[in-house]
Amino acid sequence: MSELHVVFKVGEAEYALPATAVLQMESFTGVTPVPGALPHVAGIVQVRGRVVPAVDARKRFGLPPIDRGIDGRIIVSQLGDRVVALIVDSGREVLKLSADQIKPPPPLLLDQTNGFVRAVAQSGKRLVMLIDLEKVIGEDTQ
Amino acid sequence: MSAPDALLEFLPPYLAEVDELLAAARSNLLAAEVSARKGMASPRLVRELFRGVHTIKGLSAMVDVEAVVALSHRMETSLRIADQAGGRLGTAAIQRLFQGLTGIEHCVKQLAAGRPLDAPSPALLALLDNLEEGLVGSPGPTDGPLVLQLAPSLLAKVNASEREQLNQGVAAGLTAVLLEFSPSPERAQAGFNINSVRERLSKVAELVKVVPVSAKVTASSPGGLYFALLLLTSNPPEALVAASGVAASDVKVIASPRSPAADDELADLADAALPAYEGAGRHGVVRVEAGRLDEAMDRLSALVVGRSRVMRAVAQLTETGANTRELLQILAENGRHLRDMRASILRIRMVRVVEVLERLPLMVRGLRRSTGKQVRLELELGNAELDKGVGDRLFPAIVHLVRNAVDHALELPEERVRLGKPPEGLLRIRCHSRPNSLLELSIEDDGAGVDAATVARRAGVPEPRNAQELLELLCQPGLSTRTEVSTTSGRGMGMDIVKRIAVGQLGGSLTLATELGKGSTFTLSVPLTLSIVEAFVFESGAQRYALPVSAVEELIEIDPDLVIRGPVPVGKDGRAAEASGVGMIHRRGAAVPVLTLDALLHGVQGGRPKKAIVVFHQGQRVAFGVDRMVSQQEIVIRPLEDPLVRVRGVTGATDLGDGRPTLVLDLAAFSKGITLGLPA
Repeated sequence: MSELHVVFKVGEAEYALPATAVLQMESFTGVTPVPGALPHVAGIVQVRGRVVPAVDARKRFGLPPIDRGIDGRIIVSQLGDRVVALIVDSGREVLKLSADQIKPPPPLLLDQTNGFVRAVAQSGKRLVMLIDLEKVIGEDTQ
Repeated sequence: MSAPDALLEFLPPYLAEVDELLAAARSNLLAAEVSARKGMASPRLVRELFRGVHTIKGLSAMVDVEAVVALSHRMETSLRIADQAGGRLGTAAIQRLFQGLTGIEHCVKQLAAGRPLDAPSPALLALLDNLEEGLVGSPGPTDGPLVLQLAPSLLAKVNASEREQLNQGVAAGLTAVLLEFSPSPERAQAGFNINSVRERLSKVAELVKVVPVSAKVTASSPGGLYFALLLLTSNPPEALVAASGVAASDVKVIASPRSPAADDELADLADAALPAYEGAGRHGVVRVEAGRLDEAMDRLSALVVGRSRVMRAVAQLTETGANTRELLQILAENGRHLRDMRASILRIRMVRVVEVLERLPLMVRGLRRSTGKQVRLELELGNAELDKGVGDRLFPAIVHLVRNAVDHALELPEERVRLGKPPEGLLRIRCHSRPNSLLELSIEDDGAGVDAATVARRAGVPEPRNAQELLELLCQPGLSTRTEVSTTSGRGMGMDIVKRIAVGQLGGSLTLATELGKGSTFTLSVPLTLSIVEAFVFESGAQRYALPVSAVEELIEIDPDLVIRGPVPVGKDGRAAEASGVGMIHRRGAAVPVLTLDALLHGVQGGRPKKAIVVFHQGQRVAFGVDRMVSQQEIVIRPLEDPLVRVRGVTGATDLGDGRPTLVLDLAAFSKGITLGLPA
């Protein structure tokens, strides 16, 4: 059994989320900062009439800020009852990954990434990291 | 057990319908209880109840919700018998039917939350199975609260569960008796000590409580001590005298068995309070999920936003010298249509306040039982309506205030009689629509009033000078005016929650009028609709913000050179915390603090703003310096509900027409302190 995944880039690395968790993907055109929110929260974005909080993946993954230009994407996802957005550097590919392609991350990687990486998938020569969206978005999910 | 997948699509309409039937059944049952207290049968109500429960059973069988079928089937059976008996329902049976309804409600909630459904508890099923026994015949003794003829010092020692025990005993036809036993050497010789007396009395009466009381040393109580025994008995006083060896004068009746007619005055509780649930009145009513209305409103906002873009484009066209007169006319007309359309959608979202408060009579009924207090609930709600969203948010605040009133303000019946008040406490909820789209809702009680001195002592602050200051004090998180924890209100009055809802979430106000010994009135004033408000749009830093006009006292120009800078707090690192940027200006003979908004929001160096927005909050004016006022316009506020962006000072977001969200601020939240970034 294989499942569709949305693949995106943050820095040089490729990451993925199951397509079922992704509501839509939009071009990144800026964000309205929310003063007082946690540092990794870029602010709020408006996607098709809905206002959702947006987490900056670069900041979350400890990368320096860049000008994302026209490649930047917003991945809008469902997380339990919440709708949240992840700002990534680029992404438009969808990849079919089968269960035997997906492996738990090496323990060292698990330690070093705050649990953000849930699994690693191999597709040809590429290594794609499956992220734990709940951990990446962070804070209580109340 | 959960609903089979194939039937999942029927679940939402099923839940909605059962919900409505449950609400009707609760109202009918409450009304039937009132009749039962008067010793009257209620054939119409019993038939309505029967139909309701029967329909619930049928619907549940269709979607295979076995647990509800099991509960409703048993209730239906007993209701049929009651119907055949001319609509007589005893209060005990009514109590069990309430438990049955609660059981069904529990199932419905589980289903709605998508959780697996437990089978109904065997105890509840057994309770409903045995319902028929006490069902038919006399309406049974009533079970309203009772007045105990006891000295206040002794009364204070009777706790809620003992009171309930006495209450039930009296309702079941027993007599409540106070027996005073003074131990003495002579009595001990005759074999009467407190242990033997207890044992012997327990054969002729039910022992509710034994309280040792110290007394003057006299011939009758040589030990300087006597025991006050509270008993329930069906035996005559002589039997108690014989069992305890006391004089007949030491046995006093404190409450006689209740006759059904005794609490007529209680009865009008539900008569006045409950909206009539007549099947006929519901024709032509469509149930709509709130989400669909939100969707329509979102679409409409998109139109409003689109229109302002067209307006801008036309304005640019006009500047180039083109003839745009007809375009402008069309736009004006289009604007009117949009306004009408918006008004229509808003009207659809309105619900009657009566419906919002539908559950209150039931809640008060529960409070009467748990506290032993007598409460008359008066609802004067008229036909007032408010937005569904506002109602949903407001309801918990009202629940808090009602609980506080019954728990903390209203006195026990004996205490009230001693104070010269009627034994039954009054709880009156009124509402009026005010002109500027505000709804005023007051919760009034004739209880003890709030003792400012006690509250101040407990909070460790000087006594407040007026009701408003007292209210501020009450609204401090964690403040409690009670020493013991009660089951209903818990520790703390929850007034901080009430305030957060009314002021923080709804942008309304909360006031208090209280008189010691006479009672209190809390008044909530909230906007009828949440979604659209008139707002100022301004710039601060490089950001645009919106602020509801209602929150603004005035807009002023300030001369940066005339802003007086006071001492600056020095941080632990020895550097001055310049970022806070607090200053002062002279305004109408008073010093008004000035905060630079940008500095406040982003912790950057305070600039030299020339404009300021003055906010009046908790008795003080605070000016917030901003860069530029942009416009005044109507905005659609969308609340920010995700925990990631729920921060202090931000109430929501709006789209000003540029397709990106603009923050709507609550400056009052900043006027007390300048601590930044605290989660709301």
